[in-house]
Amino acid sequence: MSARTTYLLLFLPALAMLALALYPFVQGVLTAFSDRKLYYDSSEFIGFRNFIDLFADDEFRDSIFRTLAFTAGVIFVQIPLGLGIALLLLGQSWFRPILRSTLVLPLLIPPVVAGLMWKTMMQPQSGILNWLLSNVGIPPQTWLSHVDTALISVILIDTWVFTPFAALILLAGLQSIPPELDEAARVDGAGALLKFRAIQLPWIVPFIVLVALFRVTDSLKSFELFYATTRGGPLNATRTLHIMAYEEAFRWSSVGKAMAAVFVLWLMSYFISMFLMSKWQRRSGVHNENG
Amino acid sequence: MKTAKLPESAGRALAQVLFIGFFVFPIIWIFLMSLKNFRDIISYPPKFLFSPTLQNYRETILGAEGTLQAGELPEYVRFLLNSMIISGGAVCLAALLGIPAAYALARGGLPGRKHIAFTFLSFRFAPELMIILPMYLIYTQVGLYDTYAGMILSHQLICLPLVIWIMMSFFQDIPIEIEEAARIDGANILLTLRAVILPISGPGIASAMIIAFIFSWNNLIFGLVLAGPNSRPVTMGILQAMTFDQIKWGLMAAAAMVSAVPGMIAATYLQRHITRGLTMGAVR
Repeated sequence: MSARTTYLLLFLPALAMLALALYPFVQGVLTAFSDRKLYYDSSEFIGFRNFIDLFADDEFRDSIFRTLAFTAGVIFVQIPLGLGIALLLLGQSWFRPILRSTLVLPLLIPPVVAGLMWKTMMQPQSGILNWLLSNVGIPPQTWLSHVDTALISVILIDTWVFTPFAALILLAGLQSIPPELDEAARVDGAGALLKFRAIQLPWIVPFIVLVALFRVTDSLKSFELFYATTRGGPLNATRTLHIMAYEEAFRWSSVGKAMAAVFVLWLMSYFISMFLMSKWQRRSGVHNENG
Repeated sequence: MKTAKLPESAGRALAQVLFIGFFVFPIIWIFLMSLKNFRDIISYPPKFLFSPTLQNYRETILGAEGTLQAGELPEYVRFLLNSMIISGGAVCLAALLGIPAAYALARGGLPGRKHIAFTFLSFRFAPELMIILPMYLIYTQVGLYDTYAGMILSHQLICLPLVIWIMMSFFQDIPIEIEEAARIDGANILLTLRAVILPISGPGIASAMIIAFIFSWNNLIFGLVLAGPNSRPVTMGILQAMTFDQIKWGLMAAAAMVSAVPGMIAATYLQRHITRGLTMGAVR
């Protein structure tokens, strides 16, 4: 048996699994062009009807906008905050292991649990957050229960869960800076700010791109935090594309339309992730040959 | 010099304490809530001092008094068992399929291997419903809906890309000279993999499997769409504390704490490989 055959045999089962996953994918794309309902097996091909209907609907365009606004909010808060935490963790400290454990905890507990925890704390009347705010003289907030504050509140929860992700990756990036570079900066008498601008920031650009890749794609499809906290409410204020698609399918049983909505979401996230992935590979080629 | 450094390090320490507070406080607060009786939970201003009770945990694990038939398992325990079967099965299957595949992808020089590897990765980035909504339609037809087999199969979408990409990055880090030495001694690829590669990748395999288990365990949307009364996972069990007309806060808090145990254990003991796991092997 040649080496190549052996490798192929090792690989075959996983490849079969891949084929098994591509089947529902193709099936799903076809469904997006049909009038399939949840409880009827038969359906007809209706061309772009679902897509035309969706884009004619203000509510659908709003949910695209909400999805993008959520993603933008997540990126602009979590990357700078994560970078700050990474810099904070960079120095030696006896309780660094505790800090790191603390940091990974939100990432490893179920998102539903994180969502429910914060929903509890954000109760407008009895929640602890408003009580804490009242102690420092800030008026109570409506958090998840009001149209104007709901999406921002979910961004806050998402920040609690996922900023550690940004921080850990950026910390790994900062730690990969060769000691010679640090030493050179010290010899030249560069202060902390100059060192950050001239050495640390340029070095971690590929790591920032990597964080963006994961955080953008995960936020576009974010589902579980929304489902655990608002389920799209109040008054659709947090109804993102993924939540909308779920409701179309399981509440209104319009599977065809739901698939069309997910397909739009998939296209968005596919092109954005391809773009970021190409950027990341080109950038990371500089100091990581394995890419 | 010393005096100039002091305020800076004091500021640093303060910032560190603040961020520990931000990340730990919610978990501590819900833990306290799980130890409170109903009156303490709804009291305002919130109570930090109270006489703790294990009633919520008792009711979660043993079921509400007088509601169980003889020999029947409480609902939440069934959810826990379901999750153990589904996530345990899914991780074992993913390791069985994924480790040889990762090795072949890392070393085999297969044609188009980059594309194949990225196709696996693309499932990590795709919205879940894109696959599992059509999967639901297929499952209801072929009888896989609400079965362990169906759930384990679908959880490959979570576990398999993780195992393949993490293990690929581990195998690429092993110096190829080790393998060449074994090959010169006459070992074929399978023997090299079994006797040389697998033993030294033990820690890597373990951490890949643990991370895959956690993500499978923590998942909600697969269970929401593909599971019914027979196979609902633990994450759905927590949501059940929110009934139509009221939220049983104490029960919800206790159920949430119990379901978060695997993640908490991993957070404590799995420091070394966590970044690799979270980035699918992109950051070593």
